[in-house]
Amino acid sequence: MAERRVWAMIAALLALGVLLVPLSQALFGLRLTYTVRVVALGGSLLGALSGAVGCFAVLRRESLLGDALSHAALPGVAVGFLLAGRQLGALLVGAGIASWLGLRLVAAILRTTRIKQDAALGIVLASFFAAGIALLTYIQSLPEASQAGLDSFIFGQAAAIIASDIALLGAVGLAVTLVLALLWKEFKLITFDAEFASAGGLRGGLIDALLSTLIVVTIVLGLQLAGVILMVGMLIAPAIAARQWTHSLEQMVVLAAALGAFAGGSGAVISALDSDIPTGPMIIVVAFALVALSITLAPGRGVLWRQLRQRENRRHFRSRRLETGA
Amino acid sequence: MPEPAELALVIDDLTVAYDQKPAIWDIDLEVPQGALMAIVGPNGAGKSTLIKAALNLIPRAAGSVLFHGKPYEAARHLVGYVPQRGSVDWDFPTSVLDVVTMGLYGKLGWLRRPGRRERAQALAALEQVGLLDYAGRQISQLSGGQQQRTFLARALVQDAQIYFMDEPFAAVDATTEAAIVNILRELNKRGRTVLVVHHDLQTVPEYFDWLTLLNVEVVASGPTCQVFTLDNLQKTYGGRVTSLHGGQVLAAGG
Amino acid sequence: MMGLERALIELLLRFVTHDALNAFLRSPQHTASLVGCLIAICGALLGTFLLLRGLSLTSDAISHTVLLGIVLAFMLMTGAGLEGDTSSPWLIVGAAAAGVGTVVLTETLHRSGLVRQDAALGLAFPLLFAIAVILVSRFVDDVHLDDDAVLVGEIGLAWANTNSHCFEHCESLRITPEHPAAQQMRQCVNCRELTISPRDERAEFREVCGNCGVYTPAQAWSAGLLDEAPTLVFFPKSITVMLVLTALTVGFVAVFYKELKLTTFDAALAKSLGFRPAALTYALMILVSLVAVGAFDAVGSILVIAFFIIPPAAAYLLTDRLSGMLLLSPVIGGAGAFFGYDLARGWLFGMLPVAEGIAALNAIFGLQLREAWDSSISASVVLTMFVLFVLVWILSPRYGLVVSAVRRANSRRRFDDQVVLAHIHNHQGTPSHAIELRAATLHQHFRWTPQKMNRVLMRLRALGFVSQEAGSAILTQRGDAHVHAFRKQLLVAHNIPDIDPTQP
Repeated sequence: MAERRVWAMIAALLALGVLLVPLSQALFGLRLTYTVRVVALGGSLLGALSGAVGCFAVLRRESLLGDALSHAALPGVAVGFLLAGRQLGALLVGAGIASWLGLRLVAAILRTTRIKQDAALGIVLASFFAAGIALLTYIQSLPEASQAGLDSFIFGQAAAIIASDIALLGAVGLAVTLVLALLWKEFKLITFDAEFASAGGLRGGLIDALLSTLIVVTIVLGLQLAGVILMVGMLIAPAIAARQWTHSLEQMVVLAAALGAFAGGSGAVISALDSDIPTGPMIIVVAFALVALSITLAPGRGVLWRQLRQRENRRHFRSRRLETGA
Repeated sequence: MPEPAELALVIDDLTVAYDQKPAIWDIDLEVPQGALMAIVGPNGAGKSTLIKAALNLIPRAAGSVLFHGKPYEAARHLVGYVPQRGSVDWDFPTSVLDVVTMGLYGKLGWLRRPGRRERAQALAALEQVGLLDYAGRQISQLSGGQQQRTFLARALVQDAQIYFMDEPFAAVDATTEAAIVNILRELNKRGRTVLVVHHDLQTVPEYFDWLTLLNVEVVASGPTCQVFTLDNLQKTYGGRVTSLHGGQVLAAGG
Repeated sequence: MMGLERALIELLLRFVTHDALNAFLRSPQHTASLVGCLIAICGALLGTFLLLRGLSLTSDAISHTVLLGIVLAFMLMTGAGLEGDTSSPWLIVGAAAAGVGTVVLTETLHRSGLVRQDAALGLAFPLLFAIAVILVSRFVDDVHLDDDAVLVGEIGLAWANTNSHCFEHCESLRITPEHPAAQQMRQCVNCRELTISPRDERAEFREVCGNCGVYTPAQAWSAGLLDEAPTLVFFPKSITVMLVLTALTVGFVAVFYKELKLTTFDAALAKSLGFRPAALTYALMILVSLVAVGAFDAVGSILVIAFFIIPPAAAYLLTDRLSGMLLLSPVIGGAGAFFGYDLARGWLFGMLPVAEGIAALNAIFGLQLREAWDSSISASVVLTMFVLFVLVWILSPRYGLVVSAVRRANSRRRFDDQVVLAHIHNHQGTPSHAIELRAATLHQHFRWTPQKMNRVLMRLRALGFVSQEAGSAILTQRGDAHVHAFRKQLLVAHNIPDIDPTQP
């Protein structure tokens, strides 16, 4: 019953996503240019990717790790630029390496000191981000460099997305989906009960590293669109929204991907209404609206639902008391 | 002394240290096949540490562990594990049946996915622990005892030779306790070896035929009727036993 | 605020001349270092309690939300026709309220039972930050609120944003058309209307005064209207703001030290004793918000979290005492702020030139990077703090990596000894004696290499704990005593009386 409802919801979201561009053209008379369509497509692809991967981050209680890792990517972008100039590939590889170093540093602090996770994340987040800012300021002082656009990694700049980026997003998305599908039961087990997984002979460390890699890759790809500051929202908001509707991990991941795609696409379209509305932040606002809706309305779990049930219970209780009293 | 072939578990000079302070110190332990053994000792005596070190979940400082004469890497399929209930997030989006199926993941190996046969096995295990009606339930809707039985069912589908259970009786209802005891006896009847970290001294002689008293070192280990004496318990708990459980334990030991 | 500032300057003028004071404050480095140190002191004191309560990342959330508060208040103020000024007290109050609002929002999300604490934080602040960014780019068009200011602040320019205070020759000057210095000009009143040149005969003129109006002493002096220079002191606004916040923070911690300590250590106990842990937590969060707002001009809304997190974390690795942490973390933060300015100008700790590092990179990798290093001051301050943290992490005499490694190596050696001694002790005189204790095969029982076994045995023999008898290792009397002493130590650690199970 519940299962079918969620699948229907996913289908509706996908249909809505596909129809988004023609619908908004028909209903609001919007003229969506080629650029806007590309950005919307990129937004949905990224939303789907980060929604699916984000589920694991949320369930492993690593929501804020995503924030630290995205901030940690910034110095990598700068170093990539210094070494190879403005090539997207070099920038992304740099970002990935820096982000991965940040991950290792958090792990090292946790392993060798008594500092707790929250502070360790804060240390890495702030200092890597500062290193990135320092390097970017230095780059701006270089005379010959055409450094335009590096700032966009901080706040994200959706307009910079071009068709080749879409191809990259699509390819990586496909690869991630493939890895998720092939190692589904391993990821599931390690996320639910890592100790049992290791005792049962699973290579815990390896799976763990793979999962972290997926998260890093997603973050790095999202930087251009959402920026280092807002990327964590892209990662966890769809997952949290999806969690409210279903009790199965399979559905949660697919629904989170659908919700993320919807938020990415519609956020991009809304921001096209006004040239002064930045795309990345708009996508985050839409994603959070989905979370708010889910938290209040989701059947069985949502706040509204629970209040109704509480009232029901109270009425039931009162009438029974009357009966026994009589 | 029994022949090595009959021994399900041989622990030799096992030492584990946290921060260089020994949590268990030079443990020698031999458990014959088919034993239903309780591991008993005060808090911090290293009971869970012993299990985790045996299963390679935490690094050992010294010593070796053999399961039916084989080291852990070669004997994984022989070993079943029931971790402490609090070690996982029970709000995880998954169903009871799904959790039980996880017990078969190790056997399936990489890439292969659980199918019809695995489902049937999991359902059979759920029936054994009396949770068949709950197969489709989300795990957060279970009571503590039902959670414990779910974990037990997950270990049952592993169809192991040696089971390690970390405090399965902790904070469970009477129904669950009875169900667990039944399953322990059933496993015992089928010749499986079971090691249980246990807290309740009263029930030791009733539930278990083999006993290890642990306090960083092994105080005593052997058939319950020989080991479960006031003298041994006092050595383990440091003289507090008489004042806490005096009457019952004396009656049981005598 | 102005009165306070004036009183402070009057105090300072007793010790230095106003020229010296102006010269000191006019140096970007002095003002930046001073402001940085004050932020560091506030952040370190408050951050210590956040760290110990596991709330470090709440400062992250608050600093993001404060941006939203600032933007909203800014829009309201400009809407009401007031000058948008990020150090206005009203703006500070509004932004602090926004900061507390975040804490309430995440608490509410968390209490709904549907979202975990970390996820609630991770949801709340990107949302509020996103809204702030949208508002900035959509509605605000102001130099004080552009992207860069949000990110890194302008601590290097803190010296330029001043209030002027006059102490001597302070008459403000009113120039009327009758005043001898007044400059009279003729202005065409209908030229623009008729689009004609003033030379045109239809042009009509009136006399206007070009420099009439009221002059502050400073303006009058710079316009050359005064014979005698007024005694003026230009005091950077950020210093005043941060001084007030520092006084508040230090006062709060000093007055509520006992309560803060208790609620941080054991909130439940504190509640049962009649204290109000929740009230203290909110007071703490209000102060964190205030400091985040106060520091916004100087270091922006993201880097400020470093001031709350890194110095207390470093202090945490140096001392076990709360009072020690409260003393050490401001020192570490202050040092970061002080040396950070040098780093931005290319000198790490005033000694190591960054340029040489870049030159070395160029030489090694064949790059052509510009060697002159000139970078963001606030980012450099954070980096310096991080370098200090790493130094502490490695060198701390209590918990540092070096000390831990030495200690571990030492205790591993001692530990190996104990393992062997215990083994011999447990098997000595038992039926398995001959198998378990044969010196030649002893290493197999521990899964050690023969070399390691030899090393340990040699050490034990040298210590006189072990001797060899008929090919087996046995304990000497001294060794036996040692094992008993160690067991005693071990069991006491578990709070259990000494009972030796191997004794009859």
